[in-house]
Amino acid sequence: MSLFSFTLIFAMAALSICLVMTAIRFAIGPTLPDRITAFDLFVANVIGIVAIYTELTGNEDFIDVAIILSLFGFLGSISFAYYLMKSTR
Amino acid sequence: MFENVNFLLIREIISSVLIIIGVMFMLISTIGLLRFPDFYIRMSAITKGATLGLGLILSGMGIYFNEPDMFLKVVLIICFTFITSPVAAHVIGRTAVRNKIPFWDRTNLEEFKDYMHNEHQFHRDHEKDNRPNK
Amino acid sequence: MKTFIVHFLIAFFGSYVYFQYGDPVLPYNAIWAVAVWVIIMFILWLSSPSYHRSYFHKLPKAFTFILFFLKELVIANLKVAYDILTPNYRMKPTVIALPLSVTTDMEITLLAGIITLTPGSLSVDVSPDCKVLYVHTLYVKHNDVELVKHEIKHGFERRLMELTR
Repeated sequence: MSLFSFTLIFAMAALSICLVMTAIRFAIGPTLPDRITAFDLFVANVIGIVAIYTELTGNEDFIDVAIILSLFGFLGSISFAYYLMKSTR
Repeated sequence: MFENVNFLLIREIISSVLIIIGVMFMLISTIGLLRFPDFYIRMSAITKGATLGLGLILSGMGIYFNEPDMFLKVVLIICFTFITSPVAAHVIGRTAVRNKIPFWDRTNLEEFKDYMHNEHQFHRDHEKDNRPNK
Repeated sequence: MKTFIVHFLIAFFGSYVYFQYGDPVLPYNAIWAVAVWVIIMFILWLSSPSYHRSYFHKLPKAFTFILFFLKELVIANLKVAYDILTPNYRMKPTVIALPLSVTTDMEITLLAGIITLTPGSLSVDVSPDCKVLYVHTLYVKHNDVELVKHEIKHGFERRLMELTR
């Protein structure tokens, strides 16, 4: 195992720790906007993991997953916020 | 002139340095998500950290592959993140203000008072309008 | 702006055609593709004073604006990172009401997005008549709100207005 792939695996492990901490905030978040924010960061972390996994395997097809994920993460957080604004009025 | 330079090694070094810096920013902003006392402060810490960290990770990946179509996709994702992340932050922040999410007790709210007053007045009128229908 | 989009697309298709159907002398990788795109863009930009004079002045300003924005983004991240990693909070959060000089919808959208990404600030809401932008700021030096407003108005809003007018 070269130093390069070790670096990538280390980066993926750090991002996994990020995912766990975001999930803690998602669980204990006192209000609903906190959970939407945590969801936003969750999607960003998953995009990062997909990018590093693409580099680790060298398979270029995985990057399309990241494009679709960045689109749908934005739509998801926007629709949650819109639903929250409409439902409490 | 350039025959005996190992380009793959140079690309690997640049890309791993960029990825490590990006991951550090992501990790710091996630610790901030757990640690800060108030929703608005958490929000403004996260938007910046996640955007910059994701941009660094993706550009490191684009430098490693060094192909035009890959580079195009990477630039597409970076542009999309830089456009959509502030918009999402703005929408969630506005929703939080309208839902009266409390501020931190050390926050200076002097210039915001008349806005809050108007907004809550509007809420009260709205509820008054809705009440006979229920 | 319209001219910029047309030039962007022409340069994109030009470099695509050069590498796909031409006889490329240059090696096919990302650096040379970006280089060919920049060369086509530069030739189009040099030919622009004959039909569109303001575009010739605006593109260098846009370039410096993007560099300034990236610098501010990195500085903002370092400030917030310092505050996260040290145990005491250095910040004094304040909500300021920023009077807007920009008027159109696109300028307000761009300004709100840029403010959200710069030092410790989050644009919360726009007043109904589009005159005041409420910004949630983390770092206020010496409790002086006017200084922060002055910095935003002379840093970003002036540069943005030079670009879009």
